[in-house]
Amino acid sequence: MNVMSNAMTAIKKFSLAAFSLLMVLFCASEADAQCRTFTKKRCLPQLEDYVQNDNYNTAVLIPGDEAELELTFFGDRAYRLLVCGHPVLGDLTFQVLDSRGNGIYDSTDKDDNHFDFRVANTQQMTVRVQVPASDAVIEHEGCVSIMVGSKG
Amino acid sequence: MNAAVGSLFVFNNQLGISMRRAFDRKTPQRLAPVWMALPLLFLFGCGEGPQADEGGAEDAPQVEMDAEGMMPARRQKAFKKIFHAVPSPIETALLLERSGIRFDANALNPIDKAMGYSTTASQAVNLGIYAGDLSYSVIFNQNQQSVDYLNTCRRLCDGLGVGDLIDGDLIERANSNRDVRDSLVQIVTETFYDLNARFRENGMEEVSGLMAAGGWIEGVYLGTRNLASSTEDLKLRIAEQKMTLDNLIGLIDSYPPTGALTRMKRLLSRLESVYANVKITYNEAAATAAEDGTVVISGGPDVQFDDAALEEIANAVAKIRNLYTQ
Repeated sequence: MNVMSNAMTAIKKFSLAAFSLLMVLFCASEADAQCRTFTKKRCLPQLEDYVQNDNYNTAVLIPGDEAELELTFFGDRAYRLLVCGHPVLGDLTFQVLDSRGNGIYDSTDKDDNHFDFRVANTQQMTVRVQVPASDAVIEHEGCVSIMVGSKG
Repeated sequence: MNAAVGSLFVFNNQLGISMRRAFDRKTPQRLAPVWMALPLLFLFGCGEGPQADEGGAEDAPQVEMDAEGMMPARRQKAFKKIFHAVPSPIETALLLERSGIRFDANALNPIDKAMGYSTTASQAVNLGIYAGDLSYSVIFNQNQQSVDYLNTCRRLCDGLGVGDLIDGDLIERANSNRDVRDSLVQIVTETFYDLNARFRENGMEEVSGLMAAGGWIEGVYLGTRNLASSTEDLKLRIAEQKMTLDNLIGLIDSYPPTGALTRMKRLLSRLESVYANVKITYNEAAATAAEDGTVVISGGPDVQFDDAALEEIANAVAKIRNLYTQ
């Protein structure tokens, strides 16, 4: 009887663990799906006539988080770099750094959430995004998307 | 572990531990009500609440992430998320076109081979390869071929369980717009954006990484088929792919390793060693304002290479590509 009881307990524990895992994956998947909806509705239109890069650079972030995107911009082409976040996260700031880590652009104190530029010759650059810290009692998390569009 | 593994793991661990502790406090006899509540948890635990359409979700009190993409934070500790982006197949095809390459139908991976790709890994890599061929066909106004390659991508998406993203309506829309390049470009970029997002949502990072690699490989393969008659601009573009290869390997490294990703990384690392003959000097870049007010970024990397280096790259890329397409 003891053996049966132990086996039943083990099965239940295993099932609970599996359920926990399923719930976690389910919730994570839901969050990602809703970020995709947010990005398509709120961010994508802001690329206007720039052709979007099909990379999915979107994450759920909280106040104080940072995000970084490393990518290559091709020479003789115009780009729009768009940093689009949920308003609950406050004013996101971002910097563009060259391959040696030197600052090329800083959005701090600027109203725009995007940076339009042309690249004379191919550049490997890093985009660094900051979500401002918050002292709110209840913090919120929100979607942040780094989008790149190109033309010409 | 790379920070790119992401917030979800932090959240997952915390939730997993707290749930385990909660259940541990219960004796097996007391678990019955919990089991009965499980279906309800699934139904209401982390769904969208009110439908994610814009209007309704905004009016209702929200606990879960709403259509606006926010909810109360599930973690307290800040972290850094790192993304690695690679050029999309459309970007690469545009680059090839502007560099003066001529369309070569014989270089494409034949459509009828798609039926033979039966493993997840071969379907994922070849979805990327066919995405490269699709983009190349679209940019060079090969209208019927574009629709045919989109259909082929659909077949592979079916095999990968995401066939709903390239459905009959999308094929019909592509067919109706087959003569309008900008419309086809938009259809292709949106579709592959959705695919990348879906792979992430479904925890299919392996597929996402392999698809990105396949698309990159096909772009360089198509660009190196006729090196002898290539323009200097095209040669420079091929040499510059050393930088995007670095981004691609970073992307693959950011995913949990699997057998297929490890194999791909091994092959790309070999290619990276071939690219060692392309020398890049990383100078400081500078942003200046042109007369029309546009910000122009210049300076930066200086790329040096010779024809022999490109020939070697062409052969190495073809070998990798043929390993996956055969």
